[in-house]
Amino acid sequence: MHRPELVTKLYEAAVRKVPSSEEYHSHLFMAYARVGEYKKMQQAGMTLYKIVPKNPYYFWSVMSLVMQAISAQDKKLSQTMFLPLAERMVEKMVKEEKIEAEAEVQLYYMILERLGKYVEALEVVRGQLGEKLTSELQSRENKCMSLYKQLERWPECNALSCKLLLKNPDDWQFYMSYFDSLFHLIDQGWEPPSEGEHCSEGEVRSSVAQAIAFVEERLAVEEAKETRPLRGPFLARLELIRRLRARGCPEEQELGEPLELMFQYFIKFGDKPCCISDLKIYLDLLTTDHHVQFINRLMETVPLSEPQDDGVALPGDTRALQRHLCVAQLSRALGLHHALDTTGKLDLIRQLKSHYRHGLQFGKSCLKTELQFSDMYCLLASHVYIDLWAETGDETMLWQCLGLLEEGLSHSSSNAQFKLLLILLFCRMGAFEPVVDLYSSLDAKHVQHDTIGFLLTRYAESLGQFAAASQSCNFSLRFFHSNQKDTSEYIIQAYKYGAFEKIPEFIAFRSRLNRSLHFAQVRTERMLLDLFLEADLSSSLEDNVKSMGLCPEEDDIPWTDMRDNRDLTVLTSWDPADRQLSEEQRSFSLQEELLWLKVRFLTLRLVGTLAVLSHPPTPRNAEKAAENGVVAKPDILRPLLDQLNTTLQNGAQFLERGVQYPFLGPSPTRLAHALASGSCHCQVLAFQLAAYVQELDAAALEETTEVQTQISNSFKSLLIQLKEILNKCKGDLLEVKEGQCKTQPTLLENLVFFVETVCVVHWVSCFCAGVLRPLKASLQKRKKKKKEPISATMVVFSGFQEFTAGLQSLFSEVLDHIKGQETSLTALKLGELTLEEVMPAGEEAFVKLAMDKLRSSYLRSLQELGDLLKKRADVLKSLKI
Amino acid sequence: MRVPLPFLHECTVKMTTLRAFTCDDLFKFNNINLDPLTETYGIPFYLQYLAHWPEYFIVAEAPGGELMGYIMGKAEGSVAREEWHGHVTALSVAPEFRRLGLAAKLMELLEEISERKGGFFVDLFVRVSNQVAVNMYKQLGYSVYRTVIEYYSASNGEPDEDAYDMRKALSRDTEKKSIIPLPHPVRPEDIE
Repeated sequence: MHRPELVTKLYEAAVRKVPSSEEYHSHLFMAYARVGEYKKMQQAGMTLYKIVPKNPYYFWSVMSLVMQAISAQDKKLSQTMFLPLAERMVEKMVKEEKIEAEAEVQLYYMILERLGKYVEALEVVRGQLGEKLTSELQSRENKCMSLYKQLERWPECNALSCKLLLKNPDDWQFYMSYFDSLFHLIDQGWEPPSEGEHCSEGEVRSSVAQAIAFVEERLAVEEAKETRPLRGPFLARLELIRRLRARGCPEEQELGEPLELMFQYFIKFGDKPCCISDLKIYLDLLTTDHHVQFINRLMETVPLSEPQDDGVALPGDTRALQRHLCVAQLSRALGLHHALDTTGKLDLIRQLKSHYRHGLQFGKSCLKTELQFSDMYCLLASHVYIDLWAETGDETMLWQCLGLLEEGLSHSSSNAQFKLLLILLFCRMGAFEPVVDLYSSLDAKHVQHDTIGFLLTRYAESLGQFAAASQSCNFSLRFFHSNQKDTSEYIIQAYKYGAFEKIPEFIAFRSRLNRSLHFAQVRTERMLLDLFLEADLSSSLEDNVKSMGLCPEEDDIPWTDMRDNRDLTVLTSWDPADRQLSEEQRSFSLQEELLWLKVRFLTLRLVGTLAVLSHPPTPRNAEKAAENGVVAKPDILRPLLDQLNTTLQNGAQFLERGVQYPFLGPSPTRLAHALASGSCHCQVLAFQLAAYVQELDAAALEETTEVQTQISNSFKSLLIQLKEILNKCKGDLLEVKEGQCKTQPTLLENLVFFVETVCVVHWVSCFCAGVLRPLKASLQKRKKKKKEPISATMVVFSGFQEFTAGLQSLFSEVLDHIKGQETSLTALKLGELTLEEVMPAGEEAFVKLAMDKLRSSYLRSLQELGDLLKKRADVLKSLKI
Repeated sequence: MRVPLPFLHECTVKMTTLRAFTCDDLFKFNNINLDPLTETYGIPFYLQYLAHWPEYFIVAEAPGGELMGYIMGKAEGSVAREEWHGHVTALSVAPEFRRLGLAAKLMELLEEISERKGGFFVDLFVRVSNQVAVNMYKQLGYSVYRTVIEYYSASNGEPDEDAYDMRKALSRDTEKKSIIPLPHPVRPEDIE
């Protein structure tokens, strides 16, 4: 079943044989659906209907027309041909009163909507046919609402919203549509007719006074209730204030003072975990000078014990705890945490930790799968630690933060937020090893590979854990590759069950996955990783490139229409609005990802080019190949190299903007470090060398003096640049000084860049050797014959030999460095370390646990990198011309 | 059927936008699905439900745009044998939006849809150990119809777990015949 196009052939043959078979024809229809042959589906549907006049077959055909409209490049054709034809087909059935099923009415609605015939659509929905729309709750009302908005029939929109709110005063979407319609009507100066109904949906409440009255009536109902009131009307009041204020309407004051109203809201709902997300959206209604007052007023209402020995007053039950927690979250959202100085922040952390540990007693009976009531204190304290670290650069804060989160996880082993933040922190500190277990305990699967897979793939490779990196890419790739097959099957099912509106949705979904940024990234990185780990070691570069089906001429990444499916807000943040990830930052992050992906993809293609050039078809074979329609490849190395240079320039320009992302938002890409380490330019130089050597190969030896000089110079500069990168790796990854642990993850990242660059240089060297070897041989032959010295070429050959010798000594140097780091890391006595700040023994143990994980991870990275380098060094030894 | 809902206090505090679940929601449901008791299924599973029972797949969205929770269900069984019913396949609410009665609201919607379809009852499976969920369903009017032995297969060497098949009769089952408990537990292969 991997060749669905063959299935269509099969059923085409079958219906030719048995032209009246309903079964074969319907299989044929589905086979076309699988491959998206909409035109043929339309015909197959009609043929079926003629054989067996069942409605579904007729409407399959209609839907296939709609799909032709959706997929048509020419939108005019959709509007003037496909959709009108579909409409007429349905109208015919309507006239003949043959409409049977809800799905048929749905499809009719879909067609009219896509044609922009909203008036007609409204008639259908509100008319007799609309009575069939029963499966989905409020199906007719929702459709009417959407049509009123399209038609800008604000009176109807207004009246219907109010009607629905009277029925369910908690349905947020209808407050929004009510307020939208209200202000449109005011702007239009709408007046109710002097007599009769306001509009077909009934009473319109079109003045600010009526709106205020409407909201207040809803509130009065809630206030009068014996049971706990609904939140909707209370938040609607704040929403209305915000909208009135934005328009400069003085009437907003009639609804009350936002501070007072939010205070009341807290009194009513402060013990619900969602209180923070409810109020967060309206905090901008408070003026800055009222922030402290607001928090103090809330705090006064929280029932807390007398202050304990440490001066912290504690809640007596979970409801009080939740209220207190909400105040803490609101303080943070108002920026009050950020405003504290270092001492203030440290004191805040102390209090939050005290609340956290105290609150654990309420959750003693919690199952492993449940969260602790006080978990969010722990997370808040961690955020303050991160603030302190960002402000002061004091790494102790990060260590304590790691320790606190480890402690949190020990009490609440399924808290995803703890795990996510630990993942982020470990990665930022250069340790990938602990991330593997943390991520796997999140049990992220399937579509989550696309949305949060970046947490794994961003750092695995850059921190030198190539095996784990490869595996992470594989997880994601497996998901993406199954997408195509999976979705096709359900497009067919949607036809079968008449879920017509789902068909374009499924197709858009499939395309969203195919165009995923993460997909393109893991595809590229996976191939690069394979090459780093294997090419010219266990097997030749050519074989590797061939087996992965890499075609260097081809750019199959949908650059212009890439979908960023990353869930960049998966980490909870209570930061103030101006510190949250903005749309602009989001788009910068995508830009940066695309730039880096382009660098990587071009690097990959350039490496692929080396493989292709290494065994150009021999003249005779080339002729044969040309006969078979395969033309000799044009020079691709240079254009790709030009593109890489341009991309690197664009990258440098991007970095000049100095874009910063919130800590809990997206991580920056490797771009900045790659450029700073010098590895990109070194790789460019290596490919440049390959281009010179290719030139040398193509020209007659006598005319190559210039290029020979360029080659010799390149050999020398390559060694110098590699040495420079290596120098940027020197230093201690982890150092203990005066009771403090210091990390330098950049050194590790630079080492990885060095290793990657060495791989590229290795492949280029092999390519050079492959060209130079026969040249040298033929030259020696000529020399013997003509006995004439061609001294200039000697420069290239001796240059190559000096170059490989230089590489050898660089390898020894880097291996010595790695060995040295391994020794000193192993010798570090973390156990004996007395952590400078006085912290309880329990806390110290968690910090040390984190330190140990970091050390172990560094050691593993060093070992992996060392092993790879050793293998390359061995192979390089035998590289001779 | 997994329900990570700890408590069911008031069933009235929702304030939500309820709407049909769409494919794009799959990219936004991490805050719900990173819960240890909420399974993230393969794409085919979701698409199957969306293609066959789109009306039974409902998501709740908060005013801030976050997804709060969702319910996924289906209608199945023979009408002739009076086994036509609504089934709850998944119900989950993000930690932040728990204790609002949202799960109860979503269940109510599923029951209403099943009523409209002329179902005799609504049923669901729940781990016998998930006492919180079992109690919640009891509060919502569900009772244990039968125990299914080793319904949940465990991965990491732990023993397989039994499930309760819980049911609530709908108005069509006037005599509430569908919920009379079976005297003996059944094996997974015996259920349809």
